[in-house]
Amino acid sequence: MKPIFIIFFSLAFLKSYAQKKNPISVRGTAGITYEGYGLNRNPAGFTGYTPRRPWNQVRFNFMPTVKFSKDFSLPINFNFAAFPTNFAGPYAGIKKQNIGQFLTNPMNNFGLNPTYKWAEFQLGTQYLKYSDLSTGDIGIFGAGFSLKPGDYRIKFFAGNSQSGINYSLTPLPGVQGAYKRSHYMFSVGKEKENNYLVAFNFAKGKDILGSVTTPPLSPINPQEGFTISMQVNKDFKKGWYIKSEGSNAIFTSNENDTLNPAMKGFKPFIEAKSSTVSDYAAQLSFGKKSTNFDIGLGGKYIGAGFQLPGYPFMQPDRFDYTVNTRFNAFKKTTNVVASIGQRVNNLSNTTTKATQLIANINWFTQFNDKLSLNVNFNNFGFNTNGNTLTGIPSVKNVSNDIGINPTYTWSNKTMSNTLSFSYNYSSYKETYIPYPILVPVTDQNNTHTVLLSYIPVYFNKKISPDFSALYFYNQASLIKITFATLSAGLAVPVAKDKVKLRGQLQYTLSTFNSFTPDNNLIASCNIDVKLDKKLTWTNFLSTNYYKYGDQLGTTYTGANYLESNVRTGFQYKFQ
Amino acid sequence: MKHKILTASFLLFAAIANAQLNTNLIMDSRMPSNLVDWQAKPQTITLIVSNMGGSVAKPIKIRTTIKSASGAEVSTTDVGQAKIYTFRDGNTILTAADIFPFEIQRFTGTYQKSLNKTGKLPSDSYTLCVELLLATDLVPQATIKCRNFFVAGVQLPICMMPANNQEIDFRKAQTAIIFRWTPLVPRPQTVVNYRLQVFEILENQQSVQALRSNQPILDKIVAGQTQFIWQTQGILGFTDDTNLDSSSQRKGWDGKIMGGRKYIWSIQSLDASQNPIGVDGNGEGRSEPIVFKILPLSPSKPKPKTGHVSLIK
Repeated sequence: MKPIFIIFFSLAFLKSYAQKKNPISVRGTAGITYEGYGLNRNPAGFTGYTPRRPWNQVRFNFMPTVKFSKDFSLPINFNFAAFPTNFAGPYAGIKKQNIGQFLTNPMNNFGLNPTYKWAEFQLGTQYLKYSDLSTGDIGIFGAGFSLKPGDYRIKFFAGNSQSGINYSLTPLPGVQGAYKRSHYMFSVGKEKENNYLVAFNFAKGKDILGSVTTPPLSPINPQEGFTISMQVNKDFKKGWYIKSEGSNAIFTSNENDTLNPAMKGFKPFIEAKSSTVSDYAAQLSFGKKSTNFDIGLGGKYIGAGFQLPGYPFMQPDRFDYTVNTRFNAFKKTTNVVASIGQRVNNLSNTTTKATQLIANINWFTQFNDKLSLNVNFNNFGFNTNGNTLTGIPSVKNVSNDIGINPTYTWSNKTMSNTLSFSYNYSSYKETYIPYPILVPVTDQNNTHTVLLSYIPVYFNKKISPDFSALYFYNQASLIKITFATLSAGLAVPVAKDKVKLRGQLQYTLSTFNSFTPDNNLIASCNIDVKLDKKLTWTNFLSTNYYKYGDQLGTTYTGANYLESNVRTGFQYKFQ
Repeated sequence: MKHKILTASFLLFAAIANAQLNTNLIMDSRMPSNLVDWQAKPQTITLIVSNMGGSVAKPIKIRTTIKSASGAEVSTTDVGQAKIYTFRDGNTILTAADIFPFEIQRFTGTYQKSLNKTGKLPSDSYTLCVELLLATDLVPQATIKCRNFFVAGVQLPICMMPANNQEIDFRKAQTAIIFRWTPLVPRPQTVVNYRLQVFEILENQQSVQALRSNQPILDKIVAGQTQFIWQTQGILGFTDDTNLDSSSQRKGWDGKIMGGRKYIWSIQSLDASQNPIGVDGNGEGRSEPIVFKILPLSPSKPKPKTGHVSLIK
């Protein structure tokens, strides 16, 4: 905490100094927010509903940009939280952190980016996207630079995306653990904005074997990966463009494995072990962009062995392509956005190859000042053929969604009224052919949603109400679900507009088959108080009461829970 | 005389039986396509070697051969580098790490290329045969045992709906959001537990950062099904309040910032014991996450005197 206050006061000093003498300017925000959560479940022993937020959390943000001169600026990006709440990824389950873990926990950002003319230095936490097929999804704590002398582009960064975390079974649910992971990345190229880009990207990620005393259990193994990619983009006249990238990734899924003499690595960057794979990926897109008409064609191939430390969730072994378009017509009163594409998964495995067709269209028309209509349609299909010899079943899923949304607006001298109607039909059919029975099992699931909303706007009053009613009906084999929701909101400024109040009430009656209905009441409000020209106090309160009918059985008939959320914080604007 | 012949025959049979080792090979009919996983899951192959007759323990090497459905050789053990075993009285149980030591398996041309690229055998039917050989002269010491198996690469589910970057009206989302995903391929014979998680992307957070650091606002295990209807019950809050992520902001009819919130969702595939199925970069069996947006509650206010309104930017 101490360093934060020192920095805060240093900036306040700089700001006051700036106002008096120099053209130093400070812009941005700083703030602190407390979040509280409560959940009471009845009767005792009922665990059918689990917490959705941390019980307590304090978040800090400190994001000013100090501009010392026309050429020299210092953006600061500090965002961090008091208590770790990681549920996925390497930090999942961690409760107590050492300083290294705190700094590299993805919950926290500590970034400084001093920039002088074309030279930017990157210090602390950075989310750097070099390209789609090299590195980009992971925050890394370290140091590096991005230089742009003329048309040249030179980038380098080194650091850690995670610290070593010991595996632990207790306290429950335990800590899965992780190896410390170091990253190095480098890029060199030439770029002229709106004209061309040629770049070579290199990225390496490596887990440090000795970084934990109690290593995580398999399948979390120490990994290592190295990637080389080449990007070529070119913009032509009249909006035509082409973008391309090709990449080769060498990835070892377990550094503990023995060396593999049958495979060449890429020394000195990576050695081939028995779990090392080397595969390729490529993407290409081209098309035309203009004010009233866009068209584009894009394709992406990711090899079955293509894995990147910088994109840990990238799905390999696929090829997909899409055609998309957008156009305006009838003096821009009609706008159409559409795309169609296909994805093939398990490309390397002919037996379990799965194909998906994805198509959607959104058509909007403004008939006149009062009436508009939006129609959209989405379709996806998924198909994988089974295998009679091995007993692998066939699966075929088809989803169709259509939505119609007319909006009518009328007004007089004192108010305007917006009435919006929306109907959505969603159909989902899953067919499963098990072997050796070969009798298709089909599950049809249809959903209808009807929504009506009304928003009056008063020109001479400050209140802003809104009302909506929704009916949702879902039917599948042996299942019938309905929701009926009424909702009303009101926003009003008070105290000479220094306080903004906003509240909402929502009631939902839901039924499941022939059980007695469930009831749900939600109340929430925002209170924003402008304490000063630069300082705002924001508050959010909400409560959610849910009472079951008899669907949970006699023991829990009438079971209920009360969930509450509180968020309060101060935000300061440096300007 | 007849009695003597029978006795002699029995003694001869017993002597031959004692001289040999008996083996029993047990193997899953559906094996992981990633060959390194065979050693990580040693119970996938078990070889029981019985030396019940008290024969002299000899130095033995194991040769394991994989053949394709057409009978062509896929891989065989480099016996020169194979470990030497001595099987004394009783049963000895060996697992995949002993029977199929990956580092000394030699693969033929196209299969070696496939392994270098993907680490996997192509999906197909194969036969695995195990021989016990005398280490000195490679003479077989037991009947060769073979089992057929099938390799199918697991493809994790793909998040389909809400689609990547799909925008959902707050008024609909405040009642329910429908999630759909593709099934795990190939569909296992036991029920797959799909763990659906939704994370709010907080102000100043990147999408994957939110997934790796926040508590999920929805954490639900759906057994076997590939659809879930989520009653959001007020967790979305107000989508146009003051804590806006600049990357979520969008302009309204009059050019004002309208706000909105972003969420990232993913599916984790788990078996009956809640262990991950399939492999991702984190060992969590987690599908590639995608992002959706909830549009704000209110559209921006229309002006008192409406002229021509162009909704197209």
